[in-house]
Amino acid sequence: MSHVNTVSFIIVLVMFALVTGIGFAAARWRPAQDRMHLNEWGLGGRGFGTFISWFLLGGDLYTAYTFIAVPALVYATGAAGFFTLSYSIMVFPIVFIFASRLWSIARAHNYITPADFIRGRYGSRGMALAVACTGILATMPYIALQLIGIEAVLIVLGVTNTTVALIIAFAVLAGYTYLAGLRAPALIAFVKDTIVYVTVIVAVIYIPMRIGGWGHIFGSAATHLKVINPLTGKPHGSLIVTPAGEWAFATLALGSALALFMYPHVITGVLATKRRDVIRRNLAALPAYTAVLGIIALFGYMALATPAVNAGVKAHANNTQLSVPLLFEHWFPSWFAGIGFSAIIIGALVPAAIMSIAAANLFSRNIYTEFFRPGASAAEQTRAAQWASLVMKLGALLFAIELSKTFSINLQLLGGVWILQTFPAIVVGLYTRWFHRWALLIGWAAGMAYGTIEAWRTPGNGQHHFGSSTAPVLGHIVYIGFVAFLINVVVTVVLTLIFNAIHLPAGTDETQQAQFTADPEEAPVTVPVGAGVESP
Amino acid sequence: MAESAPPRKRSPATWAVVTILLAIAIGGTFWVPIYARATPFWGDFPFFYWYQLLWVPVTAVLCMTCYLLLRRKPGTGGREAK
Repeated sequence: MSHVNTVSFIIVLVMFALVTGIGFAAARWRPAQDRMHLNEWGLGGRGFGTFISWFLLGGDLYTAYTFIAVPALVYATGAAGFFTLSYSIMVFPIVFIFASRLWSIARAHNYITPADFIRGRYGSRGMALAVACTGILATMPYIALQLIGIEAVLIVLGVTNTTVALIIAFAVLAGYTYLAGLRAPALIAFVKDTIVYVTVIVAVIYIPMRIGGWGHIFGSAATHLKVINPLTGKPHGSLIVTPAGEWAFATLALGSALALFMYPHVITGVLATKRRDVIRRNLAALPAYTAVLGIIALFGYMALATPAVNAGVKAHANNTQLSVPLLFEHWFPSWFAGIGFSAIIIGALVPAAIMSIAAANLFSRNIYTEFFRPGASAAEQTRAAQWASLVMKLGALLFAIELSKTFSINLQLLGGVWILQTFPAIVVGLYTRWFHRWALLIGWAAGMAYGTIEAWRTPGNGQHHFGSSTAPVLGHIVYIGFVAFLINVVVTVVLTLIFNAIHLPAGTDETQQAQFTADPEEAPVTVPVGAGVESP
Repeated sequence: MAESAPPRKRSPATWAVVTILLAIAIGGTFWVPIYARATPFWGDFPFFYWYQLLWVPVTAVLCMTCYLLLRRKPGTGGREAK
């Protein structure tokens, strides 16, 4: 495409400028007594109530994955892509079970990252390092995916030099994240969600009217999905999940739901809340975003039913990521398409900021301070995190620009496989200390190794490696991450029995039972030794 | 999922109800054969789609019910005001 759509482009620029202004202003929002403390920069002062947390978690959970990758998957494969809806339905009841325990123990001991909890609970620096590295490793391609989402919009806008545009956007993002920390994405999340909801509601009413009704959309999608894919010799997909696809659908949904709240950026969102109650109240209110995800998934079918979108996707080397931006461009007037594009771009910037902050917290607390600068002051930890957030963004930028797009998205799938391997240590650890720390570490390694090797061996989409996140196991096609998770759990249980039998030292546990249900009013400023905790 | 803080422990019946409600919320879309079919239609929507979309508000209501059952009322020593 050679010409830039001027009206849409100006709207996108104005929205970007607005968000940038808010990002920098956020440094002065709810000012802290001690700005150079990681509780402030990295967790926004741990003081967000129900309202802000709802926007922050929504901004955190619903990313370019939702706006670009999910409809692209539905566009390409049909019903199989709807596992994402099932996954976001299941995730809140699952998280409801354990999130408040994680919040309480983190508040009682001033834990800022999930790896802090692992270190305190199991007295194991090795397991904490494993959790920290897994978190950073899984987050990097996730940030890169946000960039790819932004890039998809820029391509449809007609921007010729997308690399320069991406670098500018990320430099600005890096600037206000460095300065304002978690306060910046928390404040921008309000703008993001407002325009996301407006765009989605308008689109779901307006586009079907223009296309010719839902009957036509489903009918047209079914026809397109039946076409035989020359690469595989099978149809592209189906409108209803086939019996052969049911296992993949269910394990992908459950595995992704278990994995989501293990991501450091999501845990950051949970720990930034003010009170224990806020989390559960939010989990009941967050499904509003799930409804939005369901509608956005249906955009994939609207795109299939729009000949101009199909032509556009083909013209760009079958880049299905473009389906939603092309859909907006085709049906909306330029100015409203600009709003829709801004929704996708800001919807990618907010989570990218939170992800880089969360990964930076992990680096500062669990690698830098733990292994290189024991006894680093709070201010030094914060400075380390600020710099780490810049490095994370630079790394993601290189990922997105240097590596092929398919490769980045595959790494994101792999990120899910990896982060799921921290589930046994974190979630089971919230309930019982029975698992042995060495058993957990070996179980984690087994899950990581199996997941990585199996994903590497899986061909698909015309690639020899990392082609798909599902593979055949015992006659069924299932999610690789889920099988890796089961292997992880079995290894951990068996080794725990052995290690306990031979009395291998289990490490010290600094947590107390009552702290898992405590609801302390004030955020801890220094590390308390069981003090400052309200009796529950 | 036993919470082991004696002074504020909810009755086992409450926990049983919460467990069942959450299991329903999780199981509703986990068991794919229930809804992997086209009929009955709702308007133009095949069953597969409207069933899943219907579970979004159902899950919200189930989670909200669990939240209300487990809520701590300030000033009542953690017991639910009945």
